[in-house]
Amino acid sequence: MIEQLGNGLLLGLIVAIASVSLSLLYGVTRIVNFAHGEIIALGAVLTLFFSSSPESSFLYLDRFSPLGSSFIVSSIASILLCGVFGALLELCLFRPLRKNNYGNVAVLVITIGLSIFLRHIFLLFASARPASYALDLQKREDYFGIQLTPRNVQVLIIGSVVMILVGLFLSYTKTGRAMRAVRDSSELASVSGINSDYIITLTWVFSSMLAGFTGIIQGVINNVRWNMGFLILLLIFAGSILGGIGTSFGAMFGGFIIGMLVQLSVGLSFMDGHTEAKNAIALALMILILLIRPQGIFGSKERIS
Amino acid sequence: MNKAIIEVNGLAAGYVKGLNILQGIDLVIKEKEIISIIGPNGAGKSTLLKAIMGLIPISGGRLYINGNELANFKSHELIKKGIGYVPQVANVFPSLTIEENLEIGLWTNTKNSKEGKKEIFEMFPILFEKKREKAGNLSGGQRQLLALGRALITKPDVLLLDEPSAGLSPIAIDEVFNSINEINNKGVSILLVEQNAKRALSFCDRGYVLDQGKNSYTGTGRDLLDDPNVIDLYLGKL
Ligand SMILES: Nc1ncnc2c1ncn2[C@@H]1O[C@H](COP(=O)(O)OP(=O)(O)OP(=O)(O)O)[C@@H](O)[C@H]1O
Ligand SMILES: [Mg+2]
Repeated sequence: MIEQLGNGLLLGLIVAIASVSLSLLYGVTRIVNFAHGEIIALGAVLTLFFSSSPESSFLYLDRFSPLGSSFIVSSIASILLCGVFGALLELCLFRPLRKNNYGNVAVLVITIGLSIFLRHIFLLFASARPASYALDLQKREDYFGIQLTPRNVQVLIIGSVVMILVGLFLSYTKTGRAMRAVRDSSELASVSGINSDYIITLTWVFSSMLAGFTGIIQGVINNVRWNMGFLILLLIFAGSILGGIGTSFGAMFGGFIIGMLVQLSVGLSFMDGHTEAKNAIALALMILILLIRPQGIFGSKERIS
Repeated sequence: MNKAIIEVNGLAAGYVKGLNILQGIDLVIKEKEIISIIGPNGAGKSTLLKAIMGLIPISGGRLYINGNELANFKSHELIKKGIGYVPQVANVFPSLTIEENLEIGLWTNTKNSKEGKKEIFEMFPILFEKKREKAGNLSGGQRQLLALGRALITKPDVLLLDEPSAGLSPIAIDEVFNSINEINNKGVSILLVEQNAKRALSFCDRGYVLDQGKNSYTGTGRDLLDDPNVIDLYLGKL
């Protein structure tokens, strides 16, 4: 099991960041966004497109050749574009739905449709073959008994810094505070002078940028696939629910636990040759914990006064 | 004659299209006044406040703030026009601390944030003691004080209060009414919706009795208290 610790930390980090972004979006907008995985994949696919060498032809439609920009520039551009994409989703789709009082279930079904639609756009443009970023291969080294590549370590550090920054942003900035206020009650926020629509749009941007970031590091650690976001979506939901949906700290913690457990269970002896089943143990544990604490580990029973 | 801050003429509004809960309400709140609205459960008192605050669609009538007609306005814009509102339920942000709740009220006016908080904490020392606690952990009475504080910190000219004494102990009710009096003495007009009709009518300058989405009686608090019809219908035998 110990040999899986490094991979466990990495998957834990990915699921943790993705869970924070999903749960913040849910908290503020009350949308259970099944297309969140596709925003994750968008970050990874865009980065692949920007950074791959122009000669490489990973794209299904050979009309588009990659741009060959540096990896850092590509990542930043992709994250920004994910933010723009989130804003467009809010302005063109979810805000009109909200203003027309569509029910939660209708909106949920729409996000499922959106997820399928976007995923197949990726399939069309980026092909079904897994692709890797143009980064040099690195060997794993020993860090305090944990096997990681130097790049893995960089990812862990950058990811942790991002999570801390997100926490500080939500806790101490005026905008972060307003997001938490709208999460508690958008009506009360409005009559306190906050433009809730503006805060909701910002939340879409912020959450989508975080999702895009998650996709990029997932691409660095593993590879880029058209359905990479969808494959991890279940774990993200599990992480958010486990921590207590609507609490950012809980989502971070829950996501990390789920990611770790999934990866560590690969190391169990009876899992040999059955790694496809690795989600099972973590999810069974989630169900068990929720039976004991239905509100999640950090969720509070009382949400509405 | 004091000038009107809020004037409502023939207001019709409801939660769903084609079903008006309010069917032509008239109401005036003037500078420095305390007015109260009483009426049976379901009369539309809370709905009236929500309509004034732009939280539900208005289908007819006119609404004036300081003499200017409002049309197609957004809730959050009313704060800048000097209107504060404390809803009947869900009137604090439970997952935010006391201090953060007050800071949310300062969203539109960050200039005097220190001063604003200090004033509220002086008025309600209990909030200062608990300023780092989550509002969700406050007692009902403390919540009402916080809700008042959150609305007051925006420095409103008029405060709309929806049953601020609901569910409170007699002592807490006295505290809330004293605070309202104190706020009014500083020149803030008050619109008070109350279940305790006798107390509200003896407290206010003028009162409105609502029934089934319409004004049924209007007058000074004293007159309404003595009106045999009002006694019969809403106050019960004395
Ligand atoms: N969110 C809502 N959606 C639909 N109808 C509502 C909603 N809230 C209230 N109503 C209806 O509007 C009518 C007036 O309700 P309102 O809450 O304004 O009464 P109220 O006078 O404040 O009563 P109470 O004294 O019990 O607070 C009621 O018939 C109620 O059923
Ligand atoms: Mg009411």
